[in-house]
Amino acid sequence: MNESVRQLKRPWLAGAALVIVAAAYFFLLGSSRYPEPGPNIEYNIQAFEDLDKIETQFEEKGSISLNVENPRALAVGQGKIYVAGKDSVVVFGENDQETARFSVEGTPNCVAAASDGTVYAGMPRRVVVLDDHGALQSEWSNDFVSRSYLTSIAVNGSDVYVADAGKRVVYRFDRKGALQTRIGEKDASRDVPGIEAPSPYLDLAVNNDGELWVVNPGKLGLEQYRSDGSIVTSWYRPSLKLDGFPGCCNPTHIAFNSKGELITCEKGLVRVKKYEVTSGDFEGLVAGSKLFPQEQSLRDIAVDSRDRILALDAQRNAVRVFTRKESSPQLSNQRHGSLDGKRYISRTVHTGDELEENDHGFTG
Amino acid sequence: MNEQVAFDRRDFIRGAAAVAFAGAAYTAVGDKTEQLVWQLDPNKCTQCGRCSTHCVLNPSAVKCMNQFNICGYCDLCFGYLQPGSRERDTGAENQLCPTAAIKRTYIEEPYYEYVIDEKRCIGCAKCVKACLVFGNASFYLQIRQDVCINCNECSIAKACPSDAFRRVPASTPYIYLTGDIESTKSQPSSSSQPPQATLGPKSETS
Repeated sequence: MNESVRQLKRPWLAGAALVIVAAAYFFLLGSSRYPEPGPNIEYNIQAFEDLDKIETQFEEKGSISLNVENPRALAVGQGKIYVAGKDSVVVFGENDQETARFSVEGTPNCVAAASDGTVYAGMPRRVVVLDDHGALQSEWSNDFVSRSYLTSIAVNGSDVYVADAGKRVVYRFDRKGALQTRIGEKDASRDVPGIEAPSPYLDLAVNNDGELWVVNPGKLGLEQYRSDGSIVTSWYRPSLKLDGFPGCCNPTHIAFNSKGELITCEKGLVRVKKYEVTSGDFEGLVAGSKLFPQEQSLRDIAVDSRDRILALDAQRNAVRVFTRKESSPQLSNQRHGSLDGKRYISRTVHTGDELEENDHGFTG
Repeated sequence: MNEQVAFDRRDFIRGAAAVAFAGAAYTAVGDKTEQLVWQLDPNKCTQCGRCSTHCVLNPSAVKCMNQFNICGYCDLCFGYLQPGSRERDTGAENQLCPTAAIKRTYIEEPYYEYVIDEKRCIGCAKCVKACLVFGNASFYLQIRQDVCINCNECSIAKACPSDAFRRVPASTPYIYLTGDIESTKSQPSSSSQPPQATLGPKSETS
């Protein structure tokens, strides 16, 4: 009788002990006594990323694979595409096939091609000039100092413009490398606000009308200059909204299409957008941040003779191609930042009669 | 029986002495091996925030650093300002840091210096992520060795999702960014000095 009672009790006790041991294990070892970080100490950028999840006029149409180590710069000219990377400038022809490879010493930050085929490659502290066959013509380094950091170069007729983010200035050289003008340095007497370049990004571009546009990255906008260094106009768009430029220093790169429309590229939340250059009105999104998952992934942009928007993606080691959709809708609701139905104006026309207004998230 | 007698008390004492001598010799050699301390590799850090909640100390021994030679001294500093803040000033409502541990000091138009008050910093990495995404990535986390008690098993290292914690020699306990202008997120290097010892505004001279 006793034995039968013991047989009934033992399984119950064993089961209870097992449950207690398991609970103790999970309580003491299986769970953390530390709380997970709450929302107050979380930096959530999802809301900013979601802003560009909208229909665009453009679509990605393939890419050009690169066989270049550390590709850093992109340019177009004479129907060709130039990509500069470590120790080389690679030339792609009409069919996006590699047609030439020029050797350079170092890694250019920027590259440009003149109408006669001359190639200008900007190293951090020197400009290398190559002829259309890649033969070294000259090097310009006398006007650059130890703090110079060349980030952009453009050719306009007899002028070569070189942006120096380290010295926060744009140099205008003649085609032989003689310095003509320093542009963008702070000069209250000429209404020049001064270029602010908190990071090594300072881009410039010349449109089809020969107008020089320089990014003022610290002010998050653009400025137009004459060749003598006087300022024509400027506009700034510091904003986290889609129609503005967020971050410390944007846009990082600019280019113009054949219609003279401004194409911009940003770092941080990488976006490619289109603006009306004179007014600074936002005209639409070309590519949103969901296409560029890693920060600072685009090294340069350009627009080729077929109005394809080319974006140099170093992570993919490719030039990504964006074209207008064949049946692209008229996205008039994207204009003027009408995500919130408001038009933004912060243009300053430098004619003596200053017109300035600020209505975008940040004061400045 | 005879074999058991052969291992007598004297033999036992001799053996014990030999073991003790060997142990002392090993300890003496071991003492020459450099002590290791825990440190966080900023290039692996994903700013998850667990450094602030999983340290045995409160506040955490992990603190934010500002690498001044990478910092852009921006007026519009996303590591300092709340996104969409109405003003660029030191108002509490405009500050991103939950403990107001970042001090903003005017240098010259339009540049500002940002210094971390480590007594207030809880190592949440909120500013680190903001600076990484929108700025120059000059903010980063480090374990302050004068605060850390160097646990045998670091509880943050155990919880770190990116395996960013490792032991480094105590003589060079800090891993800081080098400020290589070629990359905004530079390769780390080691130093015996706390990173913030490099405090100083950026020179405007050529």
